[in-house]
Amino acid sequence: MSDRGVLGTRAGSRPARTPFQIQRDVIYALLIREVSSKFGKSRASFLWVLFEPVAHLVFPIVMFGFALERTLPGIDYPVFLVYGFVPFLVFKTICLQTMEGARVNRGLMSYRQVLLMDVFVANALAYCSVEAMVFAVVLTGLAMLGFDVLPSLPMEFGGVLALTVLLAFALGLLFGALTSVVPDAKAVVRVLFIPLYFLSGILFPVSRFPEEWVQWLAINPVLHLVEMSRGAAVTHYVPMRFMSLEYLAAVTVVSLFIGLALYRLRALSRVTT
Amino acid sequence: MIRLDSITKSYLTLRGRKVVLRNLSLEIPGGANVGLIGRNGAGKSTLMRLLSTVELPDSGTITTSGTISWPVGLSGGMQGGLTGRENVKFVCRIHGVRGAGMRETVRYVQDFAQIGAYFDQPVSTYSSGMRARLAFGTSMAFDFDYYLIDEVMSVGDAGFKAKSRKVFAERLQHSRVIIVSHNMNLIRKMCDMVVHLDAGRATLYSSVDEGIAAYQEAATA
Repeated sequence: MSDRGVLGTRAGSRPARTPFQIQRDVIYALLIREVSSKFGKSRASFLWVLFEPVAHLVFPIVMFGFALERTLPGIDYPVFLVYGFVPFLVFKTICLQTMEGARVNRGLMSYRQVLLMDVFVANALAYCSVEAMVFAVVLTGLAMLGFDVLPSLPMEFGGVLALTVLLAFALGLLFGALTSVVPDAKAVVRVLFIPLYFLSGILFPVSRFPEEWVQWLAINPVLHLVEMSRGAAVTHYVPMRFMSLEYLAAVTVVSLFIGLALYRLRALSRVTT
Repeated sequence: MIRLDSITKSYLTLRGRKVVLRNLSLEIPGGANVGLIGRNGAGKSTLMRLLSTVELPDSGTITTSGTISWPVGLSGGMQGGLTGRENVKFVCRIHGVRGAGMRETVRYVQDFAQIGAYFDQPVSTYSSGMRARLAFGTSMAFDFDYYLIDEVMSVGDAGFKAKSRKVFAERLQHSRVIIVSHNMNLIRKMCDMVVHLDAGRATLYSSVDEGIAAYQEAATA
């Protein structure tokens, strides 16, 4: 055994990497780590990831499907549900993963190459691909049942999903910073997703509520995401009133700014307890 | 060479801000093995974390001419759900070691750790000794100019200890160590100079015995 350790791994003899290359290597390594620790152990783990959204979709379809069929003009209930639930699921997953990312991956901070932001980005990428697979499976299932599932405005739909990811990431950073100061707030944030689920009009259209409520409910950006996703998916679906891309973009930009600013402040003091 | 330039580091506690290192400046000359000594709470581990950039100082800069390791023997960065092999691969990837280099590194760690079939089992199933073997082997698979060692040098059984000491001694032909320890015999054996930390200040002694004397005086005072 040579005292060199391993040929070619002597830090000084390797060509120095640029910061960009280091970040790329780290994010790639984290992606593999995330995916293999989630799915590497058994094939059943992917079924489990699939089970949650499918359960969320099947029960409402069975329970409300027939009742709402006649009252939802221009859209089949399962399609209505899927295109509402998917942005919500992406939002929830990425937001919570980003919020918990710092605590869960604390051990990684001992490697100087790994920054908290790399962990967040790798996590978000990993969960985007997981949710994309879930979505593909669900859409294939619905298509086999004879529904017209492909979005009629694919670019717009992609744009809505991109906004969803950005907003979830921004709020995740914000909540992450908050819960690093007040750890108990984590449970509160988690619980808040339950009313958010109902207020975002996933099971039934929020437009059924009285007009004066609706304008207050329209403060919730997730409702905008959900409605716009449906609008992009089905040509004849008219998103409810008060939905605006400008509002959504403004909320996303402002949250991203605050989230990144807090990240920067926290990174500087990087207290990891 | 490692130069610390007016480093201040404080932590927020329930009773307000506690300053651990205040305006600390220090230059560790190249080619010296350094021991960090001081009472409990003097800031040794904090300084170590700053050197390994696990944490950043409130103000001040640290400059170095060489590469500094992560704390040797660290197993906190290991993912329990992944196998030993996967964890080693992860460390390779973040260091930009790929392809043949990665295969060679993995083989080196496997040979070194000697944990048999456990190498392909999840780390969460390891005993603490196996974990330490894997962590130490991973540290030795990468060459750094400075190795950071926080107290733990004696992991594993007698055979493994002897082997670690041998590999480490070889490594010290061209690398240096920075050691935190309360074991003065270890400091005497391994170090060329010591840094004595006391009340947020650091004093560099180029004679190990003088430094140890200062530490013992402060510790018993």
